[in-house]
Formats: sequence, C-alpha cells, structure tokens
Amino acid sequence: MKDSLVLLSRILAHPDSRCWFLAWNPAGTLLASCGGDRSVRIWGREGDSWNCKSVLCEGHQRTVRKVAWSPCGNYLASASFDATTCIWKKNEDDFECVTTLEGHENEVKSVAWAPSGNLLATCSRDKSVWVWEVDEEDEYECVSVLNSHTQDVKHVVWHPSQELLASASYDDTVKLYREEEDDWVCCATLEGHESTVWSLAFDPTGQRLASCSDDRTVRVWRQYLPGNEQGVACSGSEASWKCVCTLSGFHSRTIYDIAWCQLTGALATACGDDAIRVFEEDPGSDLQQPTFSLTAHVPQAHSQDVNCVAWNPKERGLLASCSDDGELAFWKYQPSEGI
Amino acid sequence: MAGEQDMFDAVVMADERFHGEGYREGYEEGSSLGMIEGRQHGTLHGAKVGSEIGCYRGFALAWRGLLHGCATERDSKKMKVLEALIGMIQKFPYDDPTYDRLHEDLDRIRGKFKQFCSLLNVQPDFKISTEGSLLSF
Repeated sequence: MKDSLVLLSRILAHPDSRCWFLAWNPAGTLLASCGGDRSVRIWGREGDSWNCKSVLCEGHQRTVRKVAWSPCGNYLASASFDATTCIWKKNEDDFECVTTLEGHENEVKSVAWAPSGNLLATCSRDKSVWVWEVDEEDEYECVSVLNSHTQDVKHVVWHPSQELLASASYDDTVKLYREEEDDWVCCATLEGHESTVWSLAFDPTGQRLASCSDDRTVRVWRQYLPGNEQGVACSGSEASWKCVCTLSGFHSRTIYDIAWCQLTGALATACGDDAIRVFEEDPGSDLQQPTFSLTAHVPQAHSQDVNCVAWNPKERGLLASCSDDGELAFWKYQPSEGI
Repeated sequence: MAGEQDMFDAVVMADERFHGEGYREGYEEGSSLGMIEGRQHGTLHGAKVGSEIGCYRGFALAWRGLLHGCATERDSKKMKVLEALIGMIQKFPYDDPTYDRLHEDLDRIRGKFKQFCSLLNVQPDFKISTEGSLLSF
C-alpha cells in the first residue's frame, strides 16, 4: 500500500503564500492553481515537467479561493475573498478577464460550472448560493439567490449530467437544489455530519455524492427515487438521499477536500494532517451499503495542511494536490494488488 | 397527644409551605413581567422586519413604474422577476407571527430582492434603525 501513491514532482506554485485550489481543464492538459497571493497560475506539461504557462494576477484584490474550468475548456472562473468572481476567456496561452460577477456581500468561497456550460454557481460566507445563467454573447445574469443555509457556504458542485446543484456549509449540512417553475429551490438537506462540511464530489454516474467534513469523516450519500425497490421513503415526487457509508477513523484532522475519479472511481482526500489518502470501493460490496478500503496513504504528502486533491480527467491515476505551504504536487496512483 | 403532633407538624412543614407560596408568587410575577418584556421585544423585532419588507416593497413598486412600457427582452426578464418579488411581498402574512414558514418566506423575499438588484446592476445599502430607516444606493 505504501507504493500505491508515488510522488512525481513538486512545484512551489505560490511562493510565500497558500495554494488553495487546483482544477484540471476538461482535456487534462492544463492545471489551474490559485492562492493567497491573489493570483491564478496555469500549468502545462512539457515532457516530464510542468511549467507555468500564464499568471493571471490582475483580477482580484484578495485571496483567490477556487478556480473552475467551463465544460468546453475555453473559460476559467475564479472565486475570491474580495467578494467577486472573475470569468477569464482563454486565447491560446493568454487569458483575458471578460466579466466580473458581483453581488455577494463578502468572501466568495466556491464557483462551479454546470455540465451544460450555460449555468454557473457561486457561494459565499454571506450564507447564500447564487445561480447565474450565461448566454451566447457571454452575458451573465443572476437567475436565483438561494438563502437556504444558515451559515458560511464552503463549496458548490454540479451533478455530472443533470442540472442538480449541491452545496456544503459551516452549518454541518449539504443541500441540493434544482430548478422548479422558473425558480431554483432547495430540494433536499443532507444531515449527519457533526461539523462543517468542507467539500463534495459526485461519483461518475451521479448516483452518489461524497462529502468530507471537519468531523474527520467522509460520508457517501445515495439518491433514491420515488417508488424505489429498497423502500426508502420519499416525499412526493422528490428524490431522497440517504447516507449509505461513513468512513471514520482514517483521518486525524479536518478533511478539506475530496475528489472522486471519473475514470476509475477512486476517492482521494486532502487532510489537515498533511496527508493524502485514497480509498476504493470493495468489489462486490452491496450497493445499498457499500464499503470502501484505504488503498493509499502518504502521511507527509505536504509540510502543511493539504487543501485540495484533483484527479486528471483523462490520465488514469494522475493526481494533483496543493497545500498551505504554497506547493503543488503531482502523484501517480497505482493500486499494487489487483483490486 | 394529637394536639402535640399538629403543633410540630405546623413547625416542621412551615419551611416547605413558605417555600411553595413564595415560588407561586414569584412565578406569577415573573410571568407577567416576562409577557411585558416579550411584547416589547416582539414589537421591536416585528418593526424591523416590517421596515425591511416595506423598503423592498417601495423599491419594487417604484421600479415597476420606471420599467413599465419597456419592451426589450432583457427588460421583460427584469419585469418577470420584479412581479415575482411584488407577488411574494403581497402574499406574506403580516398579521400571523406564528406562520410556520415565516423565516423561509422572508429568506425567499430577500433572495428575490438581491436577484432583482443584480439584474439592475444596483447595490442597495439599507440601514434600518429604530429611529427610522435610511436608504442609500
């Protein structure tokens, strides 16, 4: 198990600062990083090494907390503590800020593009989640302001194929939203975590959602549609989500990020104990009560808290991570025994 | 013999009896003081909420007048959101503080108001105080 996750290279991506988040472009050829130094950097591979292709430093007045690529790969959104979200358009190696979305009252914590590319979601310490629509002329319009959470909203993520949005909050819950008659509504609240939920990741099919928390557990939730065979109660025509697995005892500190590989189904976690862990579902485990095993654990992956882990969408086993120490690292995951 | 027991009984039970009487008197007085304090608190809080919604209503009705007659698609989208906001404000049960979806509906009104401001590209800044509200945009 010790050889399962091997370090490929390490880069000081945001010197004298924290590296907060990483995002691979849909083609898997570029990696965007963002940090406490208020910049976004774009990294591209040249042979065996990764080089900085662009630095986007004029966009924000404060820390950039998250970045997200549009499904077409031509746009990058950056969410900042300066309460704005910038939309950058890619032009060869250059990026130009085409719009700045304003409206949140304070720090924007996350941004995510819907699979259709027409919708964008942002969330903030002001406890709200905003849904924006973009048209063919690159005009952004707010279509909904959702005030369902009672505390700071840390992360938003879209379902891989449906227009279903999930958010994670300091109020210990995960909420799901969908459009209903021209307006967005909260259609489910997932309770169970005993502390802040920091991040979320859908599995490749979108039937399951993984959440990670300050309570040092990972929870896996499964969607049950009305009339399901397992007899899980649903209210009316709404799907219901049930926690089908809790991974506890593996992490000694807050789990800040979770990533579900869309190619292999492996789950990676970023932890405040400076470690990276990978879990895989046990083959043949019951769909309604799945079990996961720890297949890789690198205790000192970074010298400080690991803030983000991201699987490359095209290359199996390629994982990127970043940390409060400002570094970005690339790893190769190869489960040793045939799983 | 019986007379002696009654006398001791009265002495021994005196403490408990006075304790009980004192408790009942205190409880009654506390209840009525609590009612008064609660009423004051409710008045203040209700006024704050009323003031906030009143601001949104005035803002919305003013903009309805301003946007009336504009025919672009963008403006018709704004009108739709505006009408939804006005509708929510009108439907809100102002005379029922025990309405079970009070906070949910208030949050929806606030969200709709923020969305409308975003479409107008206006950043309102309300300062609601008990002496009267101060609007600055």
